[in-house]
Amino acid sequence: MRSLVSFVVLLFVAVVSAISTTGNRLLVVLEDVAEKEGYSKFLGDLEGRGFKLSIETPKSESLSLFHLGERAYDHVILFPTKGKGPNLTANLLLQFFGANGNILLTLSSGAATPSALVSLLTELDIQLPADRTGLVVDHFNYDSTSAPDTHDVLLLPAPGPLRSDIKDIFSAGAPANELIAFPHGVGAALGASELLSPILRAPSTAYSYNPKEQSEAVVDDLFATGEQLALISTFQARNSARFTLVGAAELFQDKWFDADVKKTGGKAVKTFNREFAKRVSGWTFQEIGVLRVNWIEHHLSEVGASNESNPKIYRIKNDVTYTISLSEWSWDTWNAFAVPKNDALQLEFSMLSPFHRLPLTHDAKQSNAEQAAYTSSFKLPDQHGIFNFKVNFKRPFLTNVEEKNTVSVRHMAHDEWPRSFVISGAWPWIAGIGATVTGWLAFCALWMYSGPVGGKKESKKTQ
Amino acid sequence: MRFSQPLASALLLAAAGVAQAASSWSFDDGSLSIAAKKGAEGVKEKLNAKSPLSKAVSLGSADTLKVALTAKDNGKGKRPHQAFVILKEQDSGLEAPFPLNTKENGKAVVQISQKEIPAPLLVSTKPLKASIVIGSFGSAQAYNGQVFDIEIKTDPNAPAPQYEKALRYGQKPEIYHIFRADPKSPPKVISLFFALAVIATVPALFIGWLTLGANLNHLTKAMGAAPLSHASFFGSIIAMEFVFFMYYTSWNLFQTLPVAGVVGAVTVLSGTKALGEVQSRRLAGER
Repeated sequence: MRSLVSFVVLLFVAVVSAISTTGNRLLVVLEDVAEKEGYSKFLGDLEGRGFKLSIETPKSESLSLFHLGERAYDHVILFPTKGKGPNLTANLLLQFFGANGNILLTLSSGAATPSALVSLLTELDIQLPADRTGLVVDHFNYDSTSAPDTHDVLLLPAPGPLRSDIKDIFSAGAPANELIAFPHGVGAALGASELLSPILRAPSTAYSYNPKEQSEAVVDDLFATGEQLALISTFQARNSARFTLVGAAELFQDKWFDADVKKTGGKAVKTFNREFAKRVSGWTFQEIGVLRVNWIEHHLSEVGASNESNPKIYRIKNDVTYTISLSEWSWDTWNAFAVPKNDALQLEFSMLSPFHRLPLTHDAKQSNAEQAAYTSSFKLPDQHGIFNFKVNFKRPFLTNVEEKNTVSVRHMAHDEWPRSFVISGAWPWIAGIGATVTGWLAFCALWMYSGPVGGKKESKKTQ
Repeated sequence: MRFSQPLASALLLAAAGVAQAASSWSFDDGSLSIAAKKGAEGVKEKLNAKSPLSKAVSLGSADTLKVALTAKDNGKGKRPHQAFVILKEQDSGLEAPFPLNTKENGKAVVQISQKEIPAPLLVSTKPLKASIVIGSFGSAQAYNGQVFDIEIKTDPNAPAPQYEKALRYGQKPEIYHIFRADPKSPPKVISLFFALAVIATVPALFIGWLTLGANLNHLTKAMGAAPLSHASFFGSIIAMEFVFFMYYTSWNLFQTLPVAGVVGAVTVLSGTKALGEVQSRRLAGER
């Protein structure tokens, strides 16, 4: 009966949270509410995934990111607008971001980026072209159907993984013949921060220019070219809140979801935009790439020792086993988290600095479909003190895992050392004690019970 | 206007034909020269849009590389919107663009010195790949060709360009704690030899005593005079050694102390009497 109740409760919980792990209140900011028609498929997809959309304009009086000091929304999408108004200043957006709110910001070369957003991006170490206007063009990879002259609709293959040790969550399984259309977009240059990672980079022949001032030829003041131009970039803060900058808002528009596009000399192909938009928005709103630590367990792994879980104290040179269980949220279920190829989940055993940094290996016995256990067995260092079992797993596109379990490591007690008779170097000393004891007892006996020998001594005594 | 429609489509077709035939960007009169600062005559090479230079050119720390060309759209000199020299590091794929200064007639020129090349490219051990990209709006096919390689020769006297890789989240190197070495014992043979040597002193001592005439002749006498005291005194000395032995093997201090106290009391109490008897024998001249 009880299990049935808990099952029903679980089912209910599962249904309620069948979207983002952080909530479903989504604010959509548009210049004009009527503009939402242009994004109807994208917004419809979001609603279909369980988000509750509130559509506002920056001018709206009632628009507020916070209510009584708490976030009023869990996620925000900002479509290009002329200004951001007093309710969407850089400071408020950063506060929202700091309070674990996720932001999807879209730009368009058609509208100058409001200065509030430029300063927000500067905070995140993302640079936009000067004068807040830029247009990315590529004379090699453009859509010859819609932009035969202007070359400002870029056609890009699905981007693939950022590095060989990162899971490909944005383009895995993308059909090879579909292209991402990136129409009338703005490129950004990313700073050196480790929190920034690009999803989509421009092809190496693309460049960004200012249509107003550089219409003749690009000579100087070149903003950025090629792979330095990030078309879609992400920033995941230390609190795992996510920020995504999409250079082209039109990428989300209905007309590019099902458009047929054609490279010069190529065949007409479908766009990958709809699925790509789903993944980009899903990632931003914490529907994919979210990690959860289920449990952590460590114990002595010595023969004959107690196998108590998570003891507070160990001794130096103890053999210890550490296990951590992780799950990854993927759209609507918790799945066992698989560490990407070429990457490793690492355990640090540290006091100030790590003494051990060991790879954790998958433990099939303690894993199932919903969670994966990773384990490592090792000998504690020969140094006593307060140590941490630390798993610090921070990777681009995955929420941060930082787990610390503190234990004391004591030194050897006096009766835990090997006995002296085991140590061969001590044998002469032990023999010495034995000889002394024997000699002492014999001396006592002789001193008390030995009779005089012959008469010489006696005569000496009497004299 | 019955004819207008076919006419229009014919015109469109013709236009499309023109568009198809149009054409592609390329360049002519390409030249590459490297001028040393002190006016010395440097290298001069002709650049060809079709085939790259076979040998890498080297760029010293004070040299200036000059690339000049005439951009042509279908053979006619014309100003392109994009005319870049792009230097590429072969291992990392990092690129640095250098826009050419173009004129209306397509003449374009750029000068590159080591100061302008970013540090990550300067420290490269392999030659940099230089390609020229020429493209513009409209239907003309853009040009992108790898035309020459540059070998960077940094000044050996000046400090090497500093370049630190940006921090990226990822796997870190593994660390294995290096344990202190276990305490060592000398070879067992040596320990055994000296242990036996020590044990051998006991029989040596006994033999020495015996040759000096040691005996236990007064044992019966002493036992006769004070049997209880002697038995318990000598017994307590042995017992004390046994207590020490137990302390060594298994007892802790709190088990040892009371037993040692009892044994010690017995030693003191019986000792007065027993040693008194020994004294009486001495006074009697029997020792």
